[in-house]
Amino acid sequence: MKWLDALVQGVLLGGLYAQYALGMALMFGVMRIVNIAHGDLVILLALLGITLVGVLGVSPLVAPFLLVPMGVIIGWALQRGVLNRVVKADPLPSLVATFGLSIALQNLMLQIWSADTRSLSLGALSSMSIELGPLYVGVLPLGVFAFAVALTACLHLALRYTKFGRALRAAAADGEAATLSGVDAKGVYALATAIAVGILGAAAFCQATRTTVAPADGGAQLIYAFEAVIIGGMGHISGAFLGAMIVGIAQVVGSRADPGWGILSGHIVFLLVLALRPQGLMSRT
Amino acid sequence: MSYSNVIVRRQTTSSVIALAVSVLIVTAIPTMPYWASNGHIRWVIELSCLIAIAQMWNLLAGYAGLVSVGQQAFIGVGGYVLFVFANNMGFNPFWTVPLSAFAAAAVSIPAYILLRRLEGPYFAIGTWVFAEALRLLTANISYVNGGSGMSLRVMAQYTPGQRALGLTMMSSLLLLLTVGGSYVLLRSRFGLALTANRDEPVAAASQGVNVKRIRLMIWMLAAAGTGMAGALYYMAQLRITPDAGFDPYWSSICIFSVMVGGVGRLEGPIIGALLYFFATRFFGQFGATYLVALGLLTLVMALFSPGGIWSLLSRLVNWPWFPVTRVVVNQSQRAGEDQECRSGADRKRGFGDANGVNGTKHVDAASIKPGRETYQL
Repeated sequence: MKWLDALVQGVLLGGLYAQYALGMALMFGVMRIVNIAHGDLVILLALLGITLVGVLGVSPLVAPFLLVPMGVIIGWALQRGVLNRVVKADPLPSLVATFGLSIALQNLMLQIWSADTRSLSLGALSSMSIELGPLYVGVLPLGVFAFAVALTACLHLALRYTKFGRALRAAAADGEAATLSGVDAKGVYALATAIAVGILGAAAFCQATRTTVAPADGGAQLIYAFEAVIIGGMGHISGAFLGAMIVGIAQVVGSRADPGWGILSGHIVFLLVLALRPQGLMSRT
Repeated sequence: MSYSNVIVRRQTTSSVIALAVSVLIVTAIPTMPYWASNGHIRWVIELSCLIAIAQMWNLLAGYAGLVSVGQQAFIGVGGYVLFVFANNMGFNPFWTVPLSAFAAAAVSIPAYILLRRLEGPYFAIGTWVFAEALRLLTANISYVNGGSGMSLRVMAQYTPGQRALGLTMMSSLLLLLTVGGSYVLLRSRFGLALTANRDEPVAAASQGVNVKRIRLMIWMLAAAGTGMAGALYYMAQLRITPDAGFDPYWSSICIFSVMVGGVGRLEGPIIGALLYFFATRFFGQFGATYLVALGLLTLVMALFSPGGIWSLLSRLVNWPWFPVTRVVVNQSQRAGEDQECRSGADRKRGFGDANGVNGTKHVDAASIKPGRETYQL
């Protein structure tokens, strides 16, 4: 029973990681770049949400409706102002630029919010749980998971069937050829990053309500998202979701075995996948 | 032009001076215990470590096309190997410093085998995961005292004078191996292949350069240099913890030094490391604000001046310290212009290009057959 519980908790934790991973898979799939400040943006949005809820005196449930538009704007500005200048075959400029951004953001947040951990309380909802057979499952983690499932499905369908999805896949396959066919590649890139960071707005709300946030947490979130993406298969939306589940399960099962081994087991599963199936679980090649 | 009256010049006046100064510095450092204060000796040790790790990161990113944000893995391994061998096993701590280099190189091989299949940006984050895994693993091993770290108690058997002498000699050796070693490496045939690989891996491969082997070799050499720097740094600190030894901030230092100083040039990381060291001395008191500025400066350099300070400098004056180019001088028109043999991508990537004037001719390094010491233009 202990292990079944660990499995369920791992899947629910994976729901949170999936939200970080989707944006990263989307950006890498389209532009072949990784935003090292990805995790720091989650933390930034979460801290902004906590502060806004406190200052405006509104219900915490309003926060996602503020954070998602803010994420979209930040993502769009990030792409237009920084990333569009470094989308190239050479990985160095984009990595170094976002690395610099990550250091600056982390320390800026430290300056504004100090190193304290914070969280967003939803009152009674935070501790509510329902009985699923022999297990008790928190309502909030279940909601986060359901949202991640819905998000993955929406993103998958949007990429497949909408005009924007087609333009995005065209720009991903060959930016120049897409431009020749009338696709505004830079515009598509800006939209992709806007969506990715917009998702982080929702993820920030989930993270702040489910656990805690502190300015230095960004690097860890980036690593979990990255592990999920690689385990699932690079640039693969549903693969990223599956990978997030696996990272979540590995961490929870590992920490039940020995508290010191939680996050380490996530890393070990990731390294094992690299050794045994480097193209990722969902990849067709 | 006939080929017989062409000579290849590989040194300039500035480089001869720089070489003499370098030899002077490397021989002067071990004499410091006799004339310098303890504070200054500590400065020199730390600075040597910074220059070494920056130079190693420059080899990776600037020549092998491998961007790593996990260099702290090798700092930590180097440090811990020193502490385990000297403290737990009773080896001579000073001789264990070079040994740490081999240990770090050995650890780098499985890392490379696991990570090599990842594409550029994913390779970088993969190195970070590897370093994090090593940090957590170290924190769980009770033999090295887990998360609370270790102290280097064996150093108590040496007098302060002996310690200072040993540390400064190791600093000299570290600089000689990392900076001097890179210089010798890049001026060799292997260096030509390396430069070709940096500029155009596909073209280099088509000219017979074994790109995969080059990448692995540079990866191992960089790990060795970084590991030795880690051992020396923590020998001076006398204490190591997993959180300090495997701190991602080590990679931030590498990236800042190399990108601000100038990537793909031997002078760049030295300038960058000096800048970082003195900036931290003067502005470190501002804490987080200083780091915000450091991060923004890295971002701005990546966007607007990818060649760093060295490239801006060499636009003003072309006085290389450690030239690795081969300048072809035509003896029949010796009084006139030199013909510079320089790789084409230098211009493409915005590296120092002071010689875009009449009489210079750019030849792609990749179009030169390795194995010949003189080149046909």
